[in-house]
Amino acid sequence: MQKLIRLSRLVLLLSGISITAVLNPAQADTLKVFACEPEWASLVMELGGERIDVFSATNAHQDPHHIEARPSLIARLRQADLLLCTGADLEIGWLPMLLRQAGNQKVRVDQPGYFEAAAQVERLDIPQQLDRSMGDLHADGNPHVHLDPRRLQRIAEALHTRLIEIDPAGKAIYQQGFSEFSTRWQAAIERWQQQATSLKGQRMVVLHRDWLYLFDWLGIEIAGTLEPRPGLPTTAAHLQSLKKQLQQNPARMIVHTPHQSPRAAQQFAKLSGLPVRELPYTVGGTADTQNLFALFDQIILRLTDTTDE
Amino acid sequence: MSDAIHWSLSDFAILLPALLAGLLVTATHVPLGQRVLARGIIFLDLAIAQVAGLGIIIAHSFHWHPAGWQTQLIAVSAAIAGVLLLNYSERRWPQIQEALIGSLFVLASSVGILLLASNPHGGEQLKDLLVGQILWVSYEQLSLVALLYAMVLGVWFKFRQHQSSLPFYILFALSITASVQLVGIYLVFASLILPALAIRQLSAGALPLGYLISVLAYALGLYLAALADLPAGAVIVVCLSVLSLLAALLLPRLIPRLIPRLMPRLQK
Repeated sequence: MQKLIRLSRLVLLLSGISITAVLNPAQADTLKVFACEPEWASLVMELGGERIDVFSATNAHQDPHHIEARPSLIARLRQADLLLCTGADLEIGWLPMLLRQAGNQKVRVDQPGYFEAAAQVERLDIPQQLDRSMGDLHADGNPHVHLDPRRLQRIAEALHTRLIEIDPAGKAIYQQGFSEFSTRWQAAIERWQQQATSLKGQRMVVLHRDWLYLFDWLGIEIAGTLEPRPGLPTTAAHLQSLKKQLQQNPARMIVHTPHQSPRAAQQFAKLSGLPVRELPYTVGGTADTQNLFALFDQIILRLTDTTDE
Repeated sequence: MSDAIHWSLSDFAILLPALLAGLLVTATHVPLGQRVLARGIIFLDLAIAQVAGLGIIIAHSFHWHPAGWQTQLIAVSAAIAGVLLLNYSERRWPQIQEALIGSLFVLASSVGILLLASNPHGGEQLKDLLVGQILWVSYEQLSLVALLYAMVLGVWFKFRQHQSSLPFYILFALSITASVQLVGIYLVFASLILPALAIRQLSAGALPLGYLISVLAYALGLYLAALADLPAGAVIVVCLSVLSLLAALLLPRLIPRLIPRLMPRLQK
């Protein structure tokens, strides 16, 4: 018993030491940003650079629909000046609880510190009527908006306005950051569109409709999804019927993302003989996707690569 | 991008709801666990937790709110139906009770998987049921569970000399239904069984020591999860295992030495 008391004293002592060791007073002239996904962390860094201290709740290997609760998430959100998320219900499984636990008034849903990227642009796939039997449908439409660089440009514009609103002292930095980003981004969009002209009108099979906005931009058609309904695991019967559909109207390839299991894509590749391409879905998954420019470079490169055909 | 977490003292307040959840679970599960261990029905909690979870899944398929009273009613009814069944089978076929408990567990799990097969978030829900999300508990949830547990403990300590099994099974079903939704099946099992194992051979002061082990494990686990940035539930399970093992090894040697010193003071 005495040993236990001594042990608990030791634990208390240790905790005191480590608390003071990591106690780090907030730097006064940085804006603390809590990004739900790495693409938004990357975007806000393009706009604010040194002035931004950003934390991304998920990384490229995680499915943003669902994450494990970790204490650091609550601690980070508690300290944040700006919450930067996709919205359109993508984070519905964890963000509401996280907001409640953090209790940070600055980033409440009705505050300027709460920024939803998807709300800034026109969304696709908004259901005519909501019915849960349709699978994982979002009432606000398909949330994977960052994969259309034109929409991303509009989000960047709205975000830079918001940054100035909550941090007026940094106005010059955000304006310069946005103007430089815009110039480079517009040039990149033109380059990508030229590289991707051959993709226009092509048909591709996807696992989930997370490629909708990219395909909308490049004029690619979704030939079918490996999921029978959004969010549901694939079934043998569904793959068979998809194969039959494709016999009449063939597709060029199967596309999936690194955070999805490749098994369904591989299984359908065997069944249909189509090549499989893994496309990076967001920033930071691999060494060659370290920022938004590199991400789209890689996506276009892998889609237009014909060596395996 | 900065990756180091800067924990200031006030930030530890965010762990308070989770710690309170741990204290509530500890309060009921350590004594219940002692009884479970004594009766030799270790997997009872897994089976009943899974049956309660099945009730929650059924309620979900009716699109009822997870915190709504209909969901709770179905979960509690399912758990009580489960214990009534097991109470009957214990009297009818005592020699195969453990086998029946195990079978109920896999059956309830599999029916849950079937019910969630057409639900896009099914996999996540099954995982939440197991791992739990102790960090997401709210004060509303905590106050309702505190009320329920106060009643459970009141009845328990008033009637604990009774050896009849039905009241025990009912209290067990009520406690597990609440705790599974609070902390998940893994933590429920660990909180029931591990401290009870650690204090199994002690005669005097067993329950307070069990409480102490469990409370320390929850506090230490939450603290380590915060520093190492790991999922809290799993870290607490590891802490419960390590502290219970240490206690099981050390306490039988320490207690006989301490008791002669304490006894004269107690007698005064």
